[in-house]
Amino acid sequence: MEISGVNRNDRFTRGSRLVDMLSKAGLVLAILAVVLYGSFASPAFFTAGNLLNVLTSMSIVGIVVVGMTFVLVVGGLADLSVPATIACGAILSLGLQPLIGPVPAFALAVALAGLIGLLNGVLVGYVGINPIIATLGVGTIGLGIVQAAVGGVIVYGSNTASAEFAKGRLLGIPVVVLIFLAIALIGHFVLSRSFWGRWTLATGGNYSAAEASAVPVKAVKAGAFVITALASGISGGLLGLTLQSARPLIGSGYEFSAITAVVVGGVSIIGGFGSVPRAVAGLVFVQLLTNVMVLQGVRTPVQGFVLGILIVGAVGMDAALRKRGVA
Amino acid sequence: MRLLVLASQYRVLIILGLTLVVSALVVPGYLAPSTLGLGLDRAATIGLIAIGLTVLLIAGQIDLSGGAVFALAGIVSVILQREIGILPAAVVGILVGAVAGAINGALVVGLKVNSLVLTLATMLIFRSLAHWITNSQPVTGTDIMLSLALAKTYLEIFTIRSALFIVLIVLLHVWLTRTIPGRNLFAVGSNPAAAKESGIASDRIVFLGFVFAGTLAGVAGVLQSLVTNTGSPVFGSELTVAVIAAVVVGGTRLEGGRGSALGTLGGVLTIGSLTIAMEFQSIPAYVQQVVSGLILILLVVLDRAVTTKGRAPGTRPALVRDNPITQGENV
Repeated sequence: MEISGVNRNDRFTRGSRLVDMLSKAGLVLAILAVVLYGSFASPAFFTAGNLLNVLTSMSIVGIVVVGMTFVLVVGGLADLSVPATIACGAILSLGLQPLIGPVPAFALAVALAGLIGLLNGVLVGYVGINPIIATLGVGTIGLGIVQAAVGGVIVYGSNTASAEFAKGRLLGIPVVVLIFLAIALIGHFVLSRSFWGRWTLATGGNYSAAEASAVPVKAVKAGAFVITALASGISGGLLGLTLQSARPLIGSGYEFSAITAVVVGGVSIIGGFGSVPRAVAGLVFVQLLTNVMVLQGVRTPVQGFVLGILIVGAVGMDAALRKRGVA
Repeated sequence: MRLLVLASQYRVLIILGLTLVVSALVVPGYLAPSTLGLGLDRAATIGLIAIGLTVLLIAGQIDLSGGAVFALAGIVSVILQREIGILPAAVVGILVGAVAGAINGALVVGLKVNSLVLTLATMLIFRSLAHWITNSQPVTGTDIMLSLALAKTYLEIFTIRSALFIVLIVLLHVWLTRTIPGRNLFAVGSNPAAAKESGIASDRIVFLGFVFAGTLAGVAGVLQSLVTNTGSPVFGSELTVAVIAAVVVGGTRLEGGRGSALGTLGGVLTIGSLTIAMEFQSIPAYVQQVVSGLILILLVVLDRAVTTKGRAPGTRPALVRDNPITQGENV
């Protein structure tokens, strides 16, 4: 075998190049197709108001998507504790407002969400428990504790200034969208340009090889879950501030939306491959599709049904196209 | 460490014993046959799904869609009562479970994807279907008297549901320990590559495992709907963690290749008696969830601490990890 790694006919790179091109072009085409269909099918679709709505609702999920990308890339399958961390962020950032003020409340809420992520990370990275089981269990516990903390009732906001900030606009763009863009940029930078990102990709691609190359694999794996929990905490806090009310089940469903976006974006479920822009493209596609379905009067359960099929299709394609680690 | 290993081996008995003793001390009249019978009836729902999950986990797979299949099968069996009668509707409901399991199995085997992720997606699909069919409203059956008949207790302890669970768990025990297909199941779960080389049809066994798990989730769902005379799209959403917890308490390993029917029986009885004890003490549902989540996490961690085989990649000795012969179990 030739040593030159850039040989285009190398059987190790040929396949993935093709896959890479196909999936990139495919996603852009799919987004265009949805936009075209939406514009024809519904006059309300291609209006500034509607697209801004999509962008705003997308941003809340999008913040979680950035974190979830790290979990998938590092080979952590998925983080199912997102509903718990979102609820933690939303309930605490509203509930603690009267006690310690809006900004410390938000910070504390995000920090506590991060603590849930740390627990996930330790269980998955250091103890070696299956991520889905660990996050399912930790999520159940976390959600139960959050519910118990507020007695299972709805918490309302009391600070109007913070509410106006979260609902406000800067240069015509909603603040939530700006926060999402900032987080996505930071996430992209960390994953593609920093040592942490290289470690994340290496750990997901080949755990043993990464370990042998002195990558702190356990910490990197644990870190992905902490990142997701922090992101979900921020997302939950913003959601709470926007709605000015938070019920314990406020975050349910967000884990699936995030996983769908990441997987549809072509991030490998086996780990070792993916980027934040891909995941965000997947998110844009899924959100536009959902929006078109809503405008067309498709009922919520049908939307869930379509999302499920999308995940199955994307995961199946991932396994079929990337012939590595299939078993 | 040796103490941990010992504790891990007899954990079902230890945990079940502790649960019963503490519950008996805290809840007055806990050990009366009627209370225990009620607990057993409750446990039977978890138990029926747990039987299917035990088989799947031994084969190295998992099914997270059980709770959704449970709801879907129940809804179908109630909705069809007016059209085709109660018994045929129940049969169709169980068939729906089997079909759902077959879909899971075909996708896992055909697409070669991780069953955790796939059944997560099909869970969403089945749950959405349940909401779709019912318009997110509960549906009611035609014959209320049937519920009463099904809830009747025999010999002061058994209902039809709990008796069915006990019979099935005994059959499963015999099947797993005394028959060749049962042995093949363990082979597939502990080392799929080696099992395949030895001429075992791994794919077929995995597929049938999913069908079995789906069917039992269907049976549990249909029975629940008949007993309550209701089908609801939100039924069973809290079951997933409880069922996995019950099976794991029973010593079945998430990594595949290890497990027993009697262990699952113990695990189901533990979760059932805990639930009943907490309900008698009026402990809110979310606290109950914390408890079952804690049990699950603690036991999985305990498994990790005492296991020498099938650890997380990287925590194994290099000789095992990098040896091509033992690579198969890493799959």
